[in-house]
Amino acid sequence: MGIRRHVNLGSYALGNVLKYGPRSAVLVLALMFSTALLCSTEFIHEGVTVDIYASASESPDIVVQRLEAGRQALVPQQWVKNASVVRGVRLVTPRVWGYVDIGGGRLVTVMGVNASVYGLAFGAVGTDVLDGGRFIQPDDRGKIVVGQGIVDLMQNAYSPVTIGVGSSLGIVAYNGTTMEFEVVGVFSSQARVFSNDLIVTDLQSARDLFGLLNASGFTDLAVWTEYHEDINDVAFRLDTRLAGSRVLTRDAIRDLQLKAYGGRAGAVALVWATSLASIVLVAFMASSAASDEARREVGLLKALGYDTVDVIEIRMFEATVISLFGASLGVSAAVFFDFVLGAPGLALFLLGWSIPLLNNGIPLAVSAQTIFTAYVVAITPVIVATVVPAWRNAITEPDTVLRGV
Amino acid sequence: MPTTIHVEGVWKVYGAGTPREVVAVRDVSLKAGPGRVTALGGPSGSGKTTLLCIMGLLTRPTRGRVFIDGTDLTGVSEVFRTRVRRQKIGFVFQAQYLLPQLTAVENVALPLLCTDISRAEAEELAEERLTELGLGHRLHFRVAELSGGEQQRVSIARSLIRGPEVLIADEPSSSIDARQTADLLAVLRGMVDSRGLAVIVASHDPRVLDWADHVYWLRDGRVVEAGQ
Repeated sequence: MGIRRHVNLGSYALGNVLKYGPRSAVLVLALMFSTALLCSTEFIHEGVTVDIYASASESPDIVVQRLEAGRQALVPQQWVKNASVVRGVRLVTPRVWGYVDIGGGRLVTVMGVNASVYGLAFGAVGTDVLDGGRFIQPDDRGKIVVGQGIVDLMQNAYSPVTIGVGSSLGIVAYNGTTMEFEVVGVFSSQARVFSNDLIVTDLQSARDLFGLLNASGFTDLAVWTEYHEDINDVAFRLDTRLAGSRVLTRDAIRDLQLKAYGGRAGAVALVWATSLASIVLVAFMASSAASDEARREVGLLKALGYDTVDVIEIRMFEATVISLFGASLGVSAAVFFDFVLGAPGLALFLLGWSIPLLNNGIPLAVSAQTIFTAYVVAITPVIVATVVPAWRNAITEPDTVLRGV
Repeated sequence: MPTTIHVEGVWKVYGAGTPREVVAVRDVSLKAGPGRVTALGGPSGSGKTTLLCIMGLLTRPTRGRVFIDGTDLTGVSEVFRTRVRRQKIGFVFQAQYLLPQLTAVENVALPLLCTDISRAEAEELAEERLTELGLGHRLHFRVAELSGGEQQRVSIARSLIRGPEVLIADEPSSSIDARQTADLLAVLRGMVDSRGLAVIVASHDPRVLDWADHVYWLRDGRVVEAGQ
């Protein structure tokens, strides 16, 4: 079959798209909206997912907390020793952490660690110190290593401050006084939500900052297991050994975080699915027996000698052009909405309480898979909703279709 | 090659076996040959349009057979019937069925778009046909911008664009005045005489029936009278 025939049919279909302007525009706009909604959500969801995985890779294998009356309480010094002797445990370091204001209402996380032990944990967050700096030493006091996010944050502040090795950073303590810290290193981190704007210091300095006067208490314990050990087995042993403990494995924390964000993304997906269903309905109505004009056109084309495949080709071309255009506009709108505008409203819904901690913007990620999925879910239903009714009319006798009998 | 359409004992029943069963055509046999105008006369609802649709392969008879050039096309596939329609038959519908979103030229060129002729060539041919029918000044007007008579001529130009051997016209004079009817019949007669076109026309317009070479009168789906 000659190429000219296909060119003619494509040209006729394109003409139809343009000549039925309002109908085409409604479909394009509706598809743009639904695709933009899907993509915006997915960009954030994917960004958070990537971030959570990156964060998990920098986290300890196990975190041990202590519960008292169902609430988290300080972990006693004795637990460090008890956890260390559990079979399969390689390293244990107590941590003291909390959120502090570094000015302008920006909250960052400060984590106090046992420098001698924590520095041995390969890949732990804060240990990947950039050239020119160092990690905190066991006898350091008032020294900190900061995430690259802190450097960027201060650089982009209303009154920019350059933070680097040797500079000092004032942090508002629990009692409203400002404590001065010296930056001894800047670390890089793949995780944006949880560790890019982290400050790591020694245990005593963190206690002073948070007003934890009980010198033997810690927020939690970070545990790394022997390489050959199953983390869940070690977690079970810790749970058995430390009465009143809550033992969280890295995978459990990651899954919990994924569920928290995934659930909200699911709610948006429901809105998206509803809007897509409406579009499919509009496309179906425009192309089906419900539209006399479309039905008669198919009958006429058949009467004039068009084969069923010709009719389907025309409708498929129309649907593809409209849905491709609508989906492309939607993807572009999502990129603009998320990456330029910062997804106002949507990010707040998806990330909730995390927003105040996202000093360097919301985590975003675009993958070929997301883009491919967005196009497939935009194009396929519209093509089916357009082509199926046209096919049904095309296989019916032209006389019946034309007269509507 | 000149084409002959022949139907033999055809019936058409809509909604068979239901309370709304309608017998539109009952046991009709007739023949339409090249170089002749065959007319189907009769009151509204007598089955003229249905019979035209059967002869034009737009619908299958419930019973009976349809022959084109001696080949029985009753049971052949829809693909084959479509091919025959494309190659041999042109239609002028009572309701014209012009596509309102297209111009006169685009409407006329429509039957050629499913062939290997380029769109530009198709539109060139369409312009020629329209000009022959006196619509050279309305080539790029939308259908809605044309009068009833002009629309009818667009419809005829479309039916002739592929050089069919059979022209099937349903009430071609229904939306045009006496003068336009006379012009139209003259154009068609010219094609019958010059190209050997077989014209099958359904009408209850006496001028059209007088003009035909052979007339079949239908009532309640039956041929009740036939004459020259």
